[in-house]
Amino acid sequence: MRFERMKPFDIVIVGGGGAGLYAAMEAMKTNPSLNIAVLSKVYPNRSHTSAAQGGANAALGNKAKDDTVEMHIFDTIKGSDYLADQDAVDVLCSEAPKIIRELENMGTPWSRMDDNTIAQRPFGGAGRPRCCYCADKTGHTILQTLYEQCLKKGVIFFNEYFALNLSVKGSRSRGLVAINMKTGRLEAFPARTVILATGGYAKMYWNRSSNAAGNTGDGQALAYRAGIPMKDMEFVQFHPTGLRKSGLLVTEGARGEGGYLINKNGERFMARYAKEKMELGPRDLVSRSLETEILEGRGFDSPAGKYLHLDLTHLGADLIKSRLPQIREMCMQFEGVDPIEEPIPVRPTAHYSMGGIDTDNLTRTVMSGVYAAGECACVSVHGANRLGGNSLLDILVFGRIAGHTAAEEAGRFEPGNISEAELKLNTDEIRGSMHSSGHYERYGELREELGQTLALNVGIFREASLLKKGMQDIAELRERFKRVRVFDTSDVFNTNLLQVLELRNMLDLAETVAAGAFAREESRGSHTRVDFPVRDDAKWHKHTLATMVKGDVSLGEKPVTMGRYELQERTY
Amino acid sequence: MTVPIDQHTELKQDVTFRIFRFNPQVDSKPYFDDYTIPVERGITVLRSLNYIKEHIDASISFRAFCQAGICGSCGMRINGLSQLACTTQVWEVLAKSREPALIKVEPLRNLPLIKDLIVDMDPLVDKMKHYSNWVDSTMPESSMGKKEFLISEEEFLRYDKATDCILCASCVSECTILRANKEYVSPAVLLKSYRMNVDSRDALHALRLAELVKDHGVWDCTHCYRCQESCVKSIPIMDAIHGIREEAITLRGLKDTSGSKHAEAFMSDIEKKGKLVEATLPIRTNGVLWTLQNLLPMAVKMIMKHRTPPPPPLVKSSKGIKVFRELFREMTEHVKQDHKSHKK
Repeated sequence: MRFERMKPFDIVIVGGGGAGLYAAMEAMKTNPSLNIAVLSKVYPNRSHTSAAQGGANAALGNKAKDDTVEMHIFDTIKGSDYLADQDAVDVLCSEAPKIIRELENMGTPWSRMDDNTIAQRPFGGAGRPRCCYCADKTGHTILQTLYEQCLKKGVIFFNEYFALNLSVKGSRSRGLVAINMKTGRLEAFPARTVILATGGYAKMYWNRSSNAAGNTGDGQALAYRAGIPMKDMEFVQFHPTGLRKSGLLVTEGARGEGGYLINKNGERFMARYAKEKMELGPRDLVSRSLETEILEGRGFDSPAGKYLHLDLTHLGADLIKSRLPQIREMCMQFEGVDPIEEPIPVRPTAHYSMGGIDTDNLTRTVMSGVYAAGECACVSVHGANRLGGNSLLDILVFGRIAGHTAAEEAGRFEPGNISEAELKLNTDEIRGSMHSSGHYERYGELREELGQTLALNVGIFREASLLKKGMQDIAELRERFKRVRVFDTSDVFNTNLLQVLELRNMLDLAETVAAGAFAREESRGSHTRVDFPVRDDAKWHKHTLATMVKGDVSLGEKPVTMGRYELQERTY
Repeated sequence: MTVPIDQHTELKQDVTFRIFRFNPQVDSKPYFDDYTIPVERGITVLRSLNYIKEHIDASISFRAFCQAGICGSCGMRINGLSQLACTTQVWEVLAKSREPALIKVEPLRNLPLIKDLIVDMDPLVDKMKHYSNWVDSTMPESSMGKKEFLISEEEFLRYDKATDCILCASCVSECTILRANKEYVSPAVLLKSYRMNVDSRDALHALRLAELVKDHGVWDCTHCYRCQESCVKSIPIMDAIHGIREEAITLRGLKDTSGSKHAEAFMSDIEKKGKLVEATLPIRTNGVLWTLQNLLPMAVKMIMKHRTPPPPPLVKSSKGIKVFRELFREMTEHVKQDHKSHKK
């Protein structure tokens, strides 16, 4: 395996989704003389941002004239079950109108109201209809706009590069090492600053996840192995309405437009759990409600597992065709169901990771020169539960801040430098797994077992004995991974090697998810402990921090930043 | 509701996937490998490929990411047709397959091959850059974020379908012009160019158009409609191509390029005679000099083989030309009206 050294960069951005692209654009705007590169595992326009259907929240007041940033802030904090840092939420919501308008000004094709302003619709957990959208392809069109603008600005892309490890000296990073998938060569990217924007880690639940195959927490794992703490990793959001067979998502927009959730007795069962908001309750609550209905025997039966109905038939063909065309197509392609004719079979699916790399409000991590933004990071604006429409907003707002901050601060750091010896170390690590002999483990089996144990033991309803089992399983899987074999030994586009490297990332992070879930003896937001069913503010109103110490997880904590809003019981 | 869907899922069938293989490091030329696996109803081609890679041959290389038909990574030719592996049902392919229980999987055409089912997307990105496939906002960067452009639903609808494009390159792969000329702009880039050109926020219309009417641009399309037929998002790509041509004629006139002159010659022939006067078409499109320089040898060959088209005076009008002219005028009038109402 050969390797190459790139010229030193001022900023290397890892990840070409919404956060990474916004960061690149903003960094170039802040200081055009900087040398900036974006590394992406896939072509940027393939990034998972494209899968976000519903929209992005901003208190524009186009639909509800009395909407305010303040109300958006309160909804977000309440939605987070008071675990979000209130100063961070301030930033998120106050920047929202500006960033949505900025995207609009750059060409994002938003759907429109009758008065030609940007259209907004209701979303779960929001007091006003403030979710801006483009039909049900909002993320896709935002990603297209950002990619187009980056091409316009001449951003340098290294597409289909997989970032392996940060190069760390003392308490700062000197750049990173990545594989060029096209050649199989390792390349060193010396850099003054690194922005990690690689998306979430919910794919570790594999079949019970709506995420793209590549949402394997690469950025988090890279930072975690370099000693940067992960925050609130136990908080994984289960989306209430994944398609029964594939786990693919039916957007919350489908309920926003008026869809009903129905059990096998024909009841709109949300009346039992959220009298007022019904189907538009916050995601954690709706997911738990579906799971409870299934556990208590009110779900439909099928060989592909138990499920419930999301019924849109009463909305009529016109509305479904104009507002939810992609959802309709998806239901037909993947489930064989036309939502105009019959209800959609759904069940909860792992969907979003609230936890991530611990950062401050300027996206800085504890390691100087390393920044993180988007789902990859945990500022924290989502706390224990993210509201629909706040994730696109998060990647845009904090992607932009990351680009700006890194551009301002890059000059403070020395040029990056990666030694020959370090590259060699990375090379040997990979070569080892490609040519291992004797007893070996298969990638597919390990990944399958990881997904299973997580869904079973670290899923929606959690409990001490289950979590212990989950932790044991993960530890064993990490041990077995040391003997994993890469069967494809070619250099050019070795996707088998890529899968194995992604699995390593998922395994490392799974340990932090299970450990955090085991430690947190309370129920808050998406984290539900059957053995500790209530929120325990006295003991647990705090963030967990997971740090890698000698290869294993070590837990710490960090206080929650409060502000105008006192702790309250969270009801809908 | 009962569960009729799932009663079928027990049905299984052995399916052979004939997969295109090429590893540039060891193979001098591509070949095919066969893999036979049991496939139940409801399984997509991508899931089958994943199964084969995981259980039979880990070295098979293909791209896949979202598995939900929105990222555009897994474009490939399945039984000869370019489509997404993740949204293509195996059983549906089999129902149309010539050979029973066989599915041939090949990489997209018209893009450089890298390995197995993976092609290089860079040429497409380069074309997006060449044809400025972005909105160059009329608003200066410094004032962005303060207020919205007011855009009517009608304008939104003009580019709504075009923004469905996920750049999967299925249309690129199916394009017959690209097979002959790799420099051709390509359907996807024409679609994106059109999307930008009908956006009132964009300040670059004229420049983009000037690029599009040059060689390898919008006039090279031969209306075969393969792009539109193969589009995985059912986007009317040809409408976009016609849209650009119409705009080119409206803004730049009929004498602008050989492309528009060719279109004009077509129109006037059809109007006058109901058919083409082929003998003079090259002259009217590209001028006498160009025709002499480029087509003389071919003309000589045609004369030798008695294949020359009849000279103009000998081209007789089609039967019923009077009725036809009436219809032609009526249609032209309709199109003009349509344009006017669009402009409003």
